[in-house]
Amino acid sequence: MFSRVLQRVCRQSYVNNQNVQYVLPVCRGCIASRFSSSEVADGSKDSATSPAFNHGSESLVLEREVACPPHLQKPQAWLESLETRESKKLAIVDLHPDVFGTFPRLDILHRNIEWQKVYKIIDVRKEKTRAECSGGGRKPWRQKGTGRARHGSIRSPIWLKGGKAHPPRGGRTYWYVLPAPIRAWGLRIAMSIKHAQDNLCIVDSLDIPSSDPQYLEDIAKERYWGESVLFVDDKPLEEMSENFMDAINKIKTYNIISTEGLNCYSLLKHETIVMTLDAVNFLELRLMFFTKQYGSPDLRQDLPILRSQLKMDPHRGRSYSSKE
Amino acid sequence: MGSMGNRKALEMVRSMPRVSFVNIRDNPGSKKQKKIRGQGGSRGGESGRGRSGKSKRDTRPPIGYEGGTTPFYLRIPMFPFYKNFATRRQYIPVSLEKLQHLIDMGRIDPEEPIDVTSFVHAGAVRINVFDRVYGIHLTDEGADKFVAPVNLEVQWTSELSIAAVERSGGTISLGYYDPQSLDILSHPLQFFRRGQPIPKRLLPPKDLVDMYTDPSKRGYLSDPNQIKENRLLLAQKFGYELPDLTKGSRRALHR
Repeated sequence: MFSRVLQRVCRQSYVNNQNVQYVLPVCRGCIASRFSSSEVADGSKDSATSPAFNHGSESLVLEREVACPPHLQKPQAWLESLETRESKKLAIVDLHPDVFGTFPRLDILHRNIEWQKVYKIIDVRKEKTRAECSGGGRKPWRQKGTGRARHGSIRSPIWLKGGKAHPPRGGRTYWYVLPAPIRAWGLRIAMSIKHAQDNLCIVDSLDIPSSDPQYLEDIAKERYWGESVLFVDDKPLEEMSENFMDAINKIKTYNIISTEGLNCYSLLKHETIVMTLDAVNFLELRLMFFTKQYGSPDLRQDLPILRSQLKMDPHRGRSYSSKE
Repeated sequence: MGSMGNRKALEMVRSMPRVSFVNIRDNPGSKKQKKIRGQGGSRGGESGRGRSGKSKRDTRPPIGYEGGTTPFYLRIPMFPFYKNFATRRQYIPVSLEKLQHLIDMGRIDPEEPIDVTSFVHAGAVRINVFDRVYGIHLTDEGADKFVAPVNLEVQWTSELSIAAVERSGGTISLGYYDPQSLDILSHPLQFFRRGQPIPKRLLPPKDLVDMYTDPSKRGYLSDPNQIKENRLLLAQKFGYELPDLTKGSRRALHR
C-alpha cells in the first residue's frame, strides 16, 4: 500500500525523487493530528538514527480538512521543510481543487496582469492648445485678395508650431478596479498553474537554521527551484523570522510576500513559489469566499450581516464541513 | 483538479513551457478595434458622400422619405399598443415549481413565513421598484408537484396556485405594498442602514382594492371568515381534502 501511494505521489513531483529522504512515518509521530512547525523542527534528528516506523499505523496524508464536495479529486503536494539542506518530505497535503486545481483560464490571468500594470499609471504629459501658444491673436493676412488660403491665427492646429487640437492635459489616469471575484479567480488560476507545472513548494514554516544567504541558494539548487523564488507566509512582514529576512535581503531574486500582498504579477514573475501551510489554509478560505457570493451586487453587502448578527445563512445545508 | 476537464487542461499546461508574461493573452474578440479615422478606416476620407456636389454638401432627407408621397409609416393609422406602457404595473413571475426547488435546495425555509424578502434573499428574484415592479406573481406551473406546506404572501396569483398551496397544508394571501414599502421589504438591511424611520405602508389604489378585498383571491383586506368558506369551496371545486390547520406542528403559524 505504501509503495502504491509512493508511485502515485512520485508521478506528481518528478525531479527530486533521487535526492529525497523519505522520513514520513517518523515525522508523523512528531506531528500528531495538528501540524506545528515547532514540533517538527528538530533538525538535529537524523532519519538513520530514528526508531523504525510502523507501517499502516498512520497514513501518509496530512489530516487536513478541505471544504469541498467529497467526490472531487483533490490535488496533492508534498509538505517539505527548510530546516535541512537535504530535501525532507514530511507529509502529503490535500489541496482544494478549486484553488489549486481550477481550470487554467489564461485570459483571466491576462486581465489581472494587465490591470496590475496599468491601473497605477498617471500620465503627466501636457501639451499646449492654440490658446496657450505664444502669439496667434492677430489675423495673419486679410481675408480676400492675397491669393493665399484664409487663416485667422498662426497658432491654429493646422499650422506648423500651432497648438494641438485635443492635447493631453496633465494628469490622466488609467485607474480602474478589476472586480474582486475576478482578482481572486486570477490568484486561483495562477496557483493552479504553478502547482501543475511543479513550481509550487509547500513548507511547514520559513524558519531556517542560519542567516547565511548561501544556505537558501544551496536549498534552491538541491530542489531545482530555479533563479527566482517567491516565499509566501501568512504573517505580516514584521513578524517573520529574522534569520530568514536577513538571508532574503541579500539575494536579489528571492523575495518574500505576505498573503495580504499576494498578486498574480508576483506569482508569474518568480519561477518557484514556496508557500507555508498557514498561507495555504488562509488562501483556501479567503479565495473560496468570492465563489460563494450573491449574484446581485445589492445583496452582497447583506451577507456578512445575515451571517453574523442575524444567524441566517443562505447557504445552509450546503456545507461540506463535517462539523456542521 | 476536481473535474475531469480541469485535470486534462492542467495536464496540458504541465507539458507546456512555463506560463509567464510573454505567453498569456486575452481571448480573441475581447478587445474591440479602435476606430480609425481618415483614409485608413472604413467610412474615412469622403465619408461615403462621394465627390463634390449637392449630395455631398447638403443635408439629406429623413429615413423613410419617399420623394414627397406620404411615406409608408405615416399611411398606416396608429394603434395604442404601448399606451400607458411605462405606467403599467409589473409583477415578477415565480412558479410553484421554482418555489418547490428553492425549498428543496434549502434556499427558502418553509418553517418561516415566506414573502418578498425571502425570495429576494434566496436570489430567486431581483426587485427594482423603478421598473414599476409591484411585487411577485405566483404562477401555477408545477402545481401538480407542489407538496411543501408554506405560509406565503405574494402580490398576484391564480386560483390554481391557491389550490395547490392549500392542498399541501399551507396558506397564501395577497398583500399590497406600495413602491416605497416594497423597496424596503426587498432590501431591508440596506434600509435599516440608512437610519430612517419606517414609513407607513399605504393602502392599495382604487383599481386594486377589489382584488385585495376579495376572499376568493385571499386578499389581505378581506374577511377571514369568508376566506375560510372559500378554502372549503376551492377544495370541493378541485377535489382534494382540505388539511386541518388547527392541528399539527405548524398550528402557531396559522393562527
